[in-house]
Amino acid sequence: MESKRQVSVEPTPLQGEAYSALPRDGAALNGHRPQVMDAERFHDASERVLSSINKVIDGKADAAKLALTVLLAQGHLLLEDVPGVGKTLLAKTLARTVDCTVSRIQFTPDLLPSDVTGVSIYNQSSRQFEFRPGAVFANIVIGDEINRASAKTQSALLECMEEHQVTVDGHSYQLGLPFMVVATQNPIEMEGTYPLPEAQRDRFMARISMGYPDKDAEIEMLETHQAFSPLAKVTPVVTAADVAAMIATVQEVHVSTAIKEYTVAIGRATRDSARLRLGASPRSLLQLLRAAKATAALDGRDFVLPDDVVDVAESVLAHRIILDRKAASSGDTPQSILRGILAALPVAQEPPGAWRRDRHTA
Amino acid sequence: MTATSHRGSPAPNPTSGTPAQGQSGGASRQQAPGPGPYPWVMAGSIVVAVLGAALSLNGVLRGWAWFMPLITTVVVVALTLAVLRALRAQPLLATLGSFATLAGILSFTFCRQESLAGFIPTAGTFTAVGRLIKRAAETVVSESAPVAPNAGIVFVMCACLGLLVILIDALAVPLAMPAASGIGLLAVMVVPATIKPQSVGIAGFVGAAVGYLLILGCSHWFAPDARLQSGSGRGAGQFRRSLVTGGLALALTMVVPLAIPGFETGTFPQGSRLSPWGTSNGLNPMITLGNSLRSPTGSGRITYATSADGPVYLRSVTIDHFDGETWAPDDRAAERRVGADRIETGYSVQGEVVNTVTSINAGLFTSPYLPAPFAPASVNGLNGRWTWDPATLSIMSTETSTRAQRYVVFSAAPKVTAQSLSQATAAPEGIPEDFLRIPGNLPDIVRQTADSVTASAGSNYGKALALQKYLRSGEFTYSLQAPVQNGYDGNGLSVLADFLAVKSGYCVHFSSAMAVMARAEGIPSRIAVGYAPGRLTGESVALVGQGSFPEYEVDARDAHAWPELYFEGLGWVPFEPTPSRGVVPEYATESSASGNLSTNADEKEVLTTPATAAPAPVPLPGGDTPEAGSPSANPLPTIAAAAAGVLLLMGFLWSPRLSRAVLRRRRLNQKPPDDANATLPGSKDPAPELAWAELQDLATDYGLPSTPSETPRHFSARLRASAALGEAGGLDDAAHVAVAALTSDFERQRYGRGATGAQGAAPPAASRIAVVRESLRNNTRWLVRFRADWLPPSMMHRWVRALGAPFRAIGKLGKSVGWTLARWWRSLRGLLPQRR
Repeated sequence: MESKRQVSVEPTPLQGEAYSALPRDGAALNGHRPQVMDAERFHDASERVLSSINKVIDGKADAAKLALTVLLAQGHLLLEDVPGVGKTLLAKTLARTVDCTVSRIQFTPDLLPSDVTGVSIYNQSSRQFEFRPGAVFANIVIGDEINRASAKTQSALLECMEEHQVTVDGHSYQLGLPFMVVATQNPIEMEGTYPLPEAQRDRFMARISMGYPDKDAEIEMLETHQAFSPLAKVTPVVTAADVAAMIATVQEVHVSTAIKEYTVAIGRATRDSARLRLGASPRSLLQLLRAAKATAALDGRDFVLPDDVVDVAESVLAHRIILDRKAASSGDTPQSILRGILAALPVAQEPPGAWRRDRHTA
Repeated sequence: MTATSHRGSPAPNPTSGTPAQGQSGGASRQQAPGPGPYPWVMAGSIVVAVLGAALSLNGVLRGWAWFMPLITTVVVVALTLAVLRALRAQPLLATLGSFATLAGILSFTFCRQESLAGFIPTAGTFTAVGRLIKRAAETVVSESAPVAPNAGIVFVMCACLGLLVILIDALAVPLAMPAASGIGLLAVMVVPATIKPQSVGIAGFVGAAVGYLLILGCSHWFAPDARLQSGSGRGAGQFRRSLVTGGLALALTMVVPLAIPGFETGTFPQGSRLSPWGTSNGLNPMITLGNSLRSPTGSGRITYATSADGPVYLRSVTIDHFDGETWAPDDRAAERRVGADRIETGYSVQGEVVNTVTSINAGLFTSPYLPAPFAPASVNGLNGRWTWDPATLSIMSTETSTRAQRYVVFSAAPKVTAQSLSQATAAPEGIPEDFLRIPGNLPDIVRQTADSVTASAGSNYGKALALQKYLRSGEFTYSLQAPVQNGYDGNGLSVLADFLAVKSGYCVHFSSAMAVMARAEGIPSRIAVGYAPGRLTGESVALVGQGSFPEYEVDARDAHAWPELYFEGLGWVPFEPTPSRGVVPEYATESSASGNLSTNADEKEVLTTPATAAPAPVPLPGGDTPEAGSPSANPLPTIAAAAAGVLLLMGFLWSPRLSRAVLRRRRLNQKPPDDANATLPGSKDPAPELAWAELQDLATDYGLPSTPSETPRHFSARLRASAALGEAGGLDDAAHVAVAALTSDFERQRYGRGATGAQGAAPPAASRIAVVRESLRNNTRWLVRFRADWLPPSMMHRWVRALGAPFRAIGKLGKSVGWTLARWWRSLRGLLPQRR
């Protein structure tokens, strides 16, 4: 009410000047493909990031790891929880540990799409239109309370997330690498808001429910966060180039046929489940596999195990599947149904230790 | 029934898996009202049920002395359960507590000296319990019902019924299956139903039924457990319905056995045994006699030496009431006199008296009735309190038994000769009228036969001889099997009629036929039950003041029944109507009647041959004759067949172990891939995968099967976390390392990029598997090890699957055929013109 446009963009090098620093087409990006990191450096870098986050947010190591996983898998993160559990803090900390550009958008109902994407302004001195990039032109974009924005503005952001580019006045502007949107959404007090439709939630690789910290972590939080904001002490521990290299490393992780079959089997099981109205989409399986690759890399492996898929399946799939009305009324949650599916799905398609396998190899 | 009739109660949510619901469930459980009177009422009804069922055991055990320890045991155990349940102990804790109390009360009752503070079992208690159980086992083997309530059998009974209380409580309260507790009560009632001739008895039946209904009612009305409470339909209508249903069922069980012919007689099915109408009480040696005779081994050996000229009949008991369906000894408890050292006959005897001394060693033979030669005048050397009946001279004890008794019987019988018998024509006076009473429902065939046989005889003696001659004639055959096959085994008047028609039976039938027919002819009679003269043992025994005499032995196969007829002035005189058994007294032979006193050849033969192998006029049917086992001329085929059988059996028992070992060898002794193979792109070394399969099977064998939905890493973690693999970092660290290595090898091989890791340097999988196996063996119990060795579950599952494969295929085929038919039918219906 007091401020009509609440786009608070944190200082970025892009602010205020014509957007030309970044290459404008995707092909150029491939030419600059970063070098793959070796396992040791990868491990060091990821440890630095995680310990840095864990210093700020007490007792949420899982959430921190998942956030990093999503970053390395080139996905976007949806943080959904009640107010005051540190959603924004997590997003900010992640952004600060990486030495890269960060912008923060506080979504309000009157926010316009051009505030997100950028706008072409007529420059009187040069007598031509200049593109002034919006908040989305950053490596990490924090979208606070995304459900408060109008559907129009939401879809502008979501398009950027999917396409990795912004099209204004017929020009396409490529977004940076890494690029990650961390959106938060408040599940209560939904009046006058525009909750993300299912189709758009599908764009987010993973959803995290922060949950309340446990007793000790909460006490520690009360002690350490009294005097100053913990964010102040956070300094970047990896560069954007490091992150790009890590992303490239993740892309190199090997996925065996067995894992692909397992992933597809999970997807088919969600579609066949009688208790689900909407199962996992092919895009979600793709993202599941990408998240699993990042998990494997974080675990120090260059190949994906079924365990990696299982680890991230709940976070990746739970916000995309929709319960049958009967299942919802009987108290099931997407998480519980996914857990049931994973518990019933055979990991290897042939029964373990089958005689058959021994015979054709003997 | 109660457990299943809660249709009206709100159905529990089948998918209550979320934490929120779990919490609400816990909250409601805490808010639930306390158990209230339920534990107490339930314990009371269990006590009523168990003690009620135990009422029927009277008759299996003699007297009522055993009932007091039983009451204390049952009540104490039930009280413990009630207190623990009222204190809301864990169900398992309550059961365990009741076990402890049971042990305590049993120690207190039976082994007070050996126990600490009188009731805490110690090592000494266990030896005492072992003694008691041994005693009970001997009782079960050697005695026939009703047995004396010795400490052993009472201990076993108290322990069993105490356990029954715990079982019923566990069924009814935590498991909420009160209806199933009837099985326990039934188990108690089966004992008297099969052992006692008069079956369960009305008291036991009613007691158990009332207790059972109380248990059901308590579960229904008091249980806080919602599973047992039916919310609706408990109106008057339901009560009336259940009354009608129950009454109808009861009436059917009473009426149907009567309507089925042959259900009440015969040996199997012993339908009448389960009828609750038996009223008489006590032992019936007539019932057990046939079984004793049929027993292949002679148990209950008695040895005796006598100063008589030859072997004597040992007489235990007499039967003189021929009323009713089943004849039983008449104990005349009121007239019995205490003290066996001076026994007087209730009748007067004239003439010469023959005194004999007989020393008897009863050994393991156990009976309340003392076997003694007729007619005992005094018995010395007995332990315990014995009573005798002046009318029958049977000596019995209600407290002790003949077991391990060694005693000397002085008997005095009038010298009976054919001459004195033929002179004894006076009407019987000195004895009760009972011995002449003929039951009103005497079958016509009995009286007709008696009249026709004795038509030509004048005196009572002549009639008796005629009857005996008729029964010993070639018309009758001795057979232990014929009565069983023709359904008249046992005794009683109807049996008697059948016997006279079929003319085949054993001593029970012959003796009762003669006794009843004698009464029909006006001669007082009774049946004596005991032992026929036995065999010489070849040893001799010195009798006090009488010199040395040969020793004889008898056992269960010599069990015998014979008639005794009363002649005024001579008293009771035994006869022998059973062909091929016993010794026909001289006075009772035809030849002696005609004045010739020489013994006949038949008699000699009878004396020297064992009773069971005695030649019968007609060959005995069935397996009564010993198998003429012709010795095999050539034993080699037999031996070969036996060896082959043993080998086959061993092979069968060994096959799971053997095939498991072969499978393991084949998996682990893989040859390393040759170079040509290894260089091929895409080819993978199969060793890790085979080693992994072996690891999975190994874990399955030791009780940790992998599930299909489990990832290798998860399975490995579970295996390493289980107690079966020992502690990481401890003695079994090598096994943990081996499992981790096998897992990572397998993962790399299955999910990795291909054979890029270090090869050859790693230790072969076989040694790793061996380490894991060693650790599993060290950390599991012997039972698990035994199963893993001889019946490896991994192998058994595979075989079961293989066995089921044809059935699965058939099922699949049937399903597809069904679908096809359904589709075809649907398309056909589509072609039909639509109705409406």
